[in-house]
Amino acid sequence: MVKKQLLGHDIDVSDKFSSLVRGLFIVAGVFLFISFILFFFDTHYFFFSYLTSYMFFLTLTLGALFIVLLQYVTAAGWSVVIRRVPEVLMCNIPLMGILVVPILFGMHDLYHWTHLEAVLHDHLLQVKRPFLNTAFFIIRMILYFVVWSWIVKKFFKKSVLQDETGDHQLTLDLERSSTYSMIIFGLTITFSSIDLVMSITPHWYSTIFGVYIFAGATLIAFSVTSLLYMFLRKKNYLKDIVTVEHYHDLGKLIYGFNIFWSYIAFCQFFLIWYASVPEETDFYLKHFEGSWTYVTALLCIGHFGIPFILFISRWLKRNLTYHACMVGWICFMHFVDLYWIIIPNITPAGLDIHFIDITLFLGIGALYFAMFFKNLNKVCLIPKKDPRLSESLNFVNF
Amino acid sequence: MNEILLAEFSSPKALLKAAEVLSDCGYSKYDVYSPFPIHGMDDAMKLKHSKLGWIVLCGGSVGLLTGFCLQTWVSLHYPLIISGKPFFSYPAFVPVTFELMVLFSAFSAVFGMFALNKLPQHYNPLFKSAYFRKATSHGFFIGLDSTEKGYDREKLRELLGTIGVNHIEIIEDSE
Repeated sequence: MVKKQLLGHDIDVSDKFSSLVRGLFIVAGVFLFISFILFFFDTHYFFFSYLTSYMFFLTLTLGALFIVLLQYVTAAGWSVVIRRVPEVLMCNIPLMGILVVPILFGMHDLYHWTHLEAVLHDHLLQVKRPFLNTAFFIIRMILYFVVWSWIVKKFFKKSVLQDETGDHQLTLDLERSSTYSMIIFGLTITFSSIDLVMSITPHWYSTIFGVYIFAGATLIAFSVTSLLYMFLRKKNYLKDIVTVEHYHDLGKLIYGFNIFWSYIAFCQFFLIWYASVPEETDFYLKHFEGSWTYVTALLCIGHFGIPFILFISRWLKRNLTYHACMVGWICFMHFVDLYWIIIPNITPAGLDIHFIDITLFLGIGALYFAMFFKNLNKVCLIPKKDPRLSESLNFVNF
Repeated sequence: MNEILLAEFSSPKALLKAAEVLSDCGYSKYDVYSPFPIHGMDDAMKLKHSKLGWIVLCGGSVGLLTGFCLQTWVSLHYPLIISGKPFFSYPAFVPVTFELMVLFSAFSAVFGMFALNKLPQHYNPLFKSAYFRKATSHGFFIGLDSTEKGYDREKLRELLGTIGVNHIEIIEDSE
């Protein structure tokens, strides 16, 4: 068998995406401007809608960080050629750090525990006050983004540096850093999801909530990674490098993490439903109100049932068109999941989709991917001097 | 009388090559024996994909239905009030349903594999060959069945000779 070597003709983008970047920035500008106007019509709703879209892209970024850490911590060989896209995705953490600012301004709208007069008459909120107070919330947000940016910068810088030097020591360094970074990642994603999402319903608590958000984050990151590689493939990049074998393995991971999400989502529901403790059922009662019941059913069937049955087969994972459709559907379901968690707090009577939900999602999304392609323009599409590159190039599923 | 032509090769690579040549020449009633699985052998032998997945799917579905129906039946025909929940509380059925699906899938995977491999097999003409015993440690063999259409001992000897066979043994099957 002949070993595949790197030829180097289609691994450099070198500013070929600059028109795409410009287009995306324009789209982002238009939609964010429309959203900004809509902000004055319904300020209260704006923040909930914003948080939903924000969480979608924050989970994507954090999931990408997890993928990169996971590859180093396990010293994975097969996945070297699919590491660069998650690496560039995680570089959007500073952008997410800037985009968190509107949430800080909307805290009074989003989080009931910021209302001092309400806290005075509420024993539970008084007890939670040492943790749930405005100043500490802002400090924690700053801390999360400083820590995430620090990890992201270290991993991205050394990985890109290796493209030039080919120094194997860099891989060993990152493998060492990935261990404690993984622990930090686990703690920060748990606490940030508690802060940003769970504290919207401050009486409610679920100890598995951080894992729930993490499961969705990993799922969306693997899905978007797969879709972005297919996009690059369409543009004639990495055609012989990221092969159907890699998509097959990405498909397996997406499938596995989808079941993981379902498992966690069901566990959370199951324990709360069984115990029926008033403080805990608070959250779920909102989701069985009016037309939210149908969204709940959609999540069970669409997020778990459909991919579970229709994405199980090896042949379907290896059919790239089918793979793309299925993964796209999973991305959509991740948005529905976040929408289902956050929005019932503002429209408790039932599902009520606002125009701003769409404009904010497209606005933030376009800005996010404009930054992504802007960063991708500057780097090589694969870590071309990684010591495990050959293993990844010649990877085959038996 | 049927016979089996047992050919020994020196390495997994040679065995893979031999399987390729044999299937290219149109032979299908042969099997390869090696101490460990060889990547790419399925393609070299032009084997069809295993049906095991479908067997497991059926087993899993049966387990799923059994688990769910059993609990529904039991809780409706022997009604007990448990923590104030309705009798037909399907969320509570999920863990057992899931476990039975896994159990039935595992059973159908193991026993389906036995059935597809025609196991257990207490007799095989190859067991007569003392030489064949090293297939479990360091021997790489191909056994060709004489019931194959167009089986010609001399022609096979010649063909195998061109691809570097180490040793050829004819094993007679009295059955």
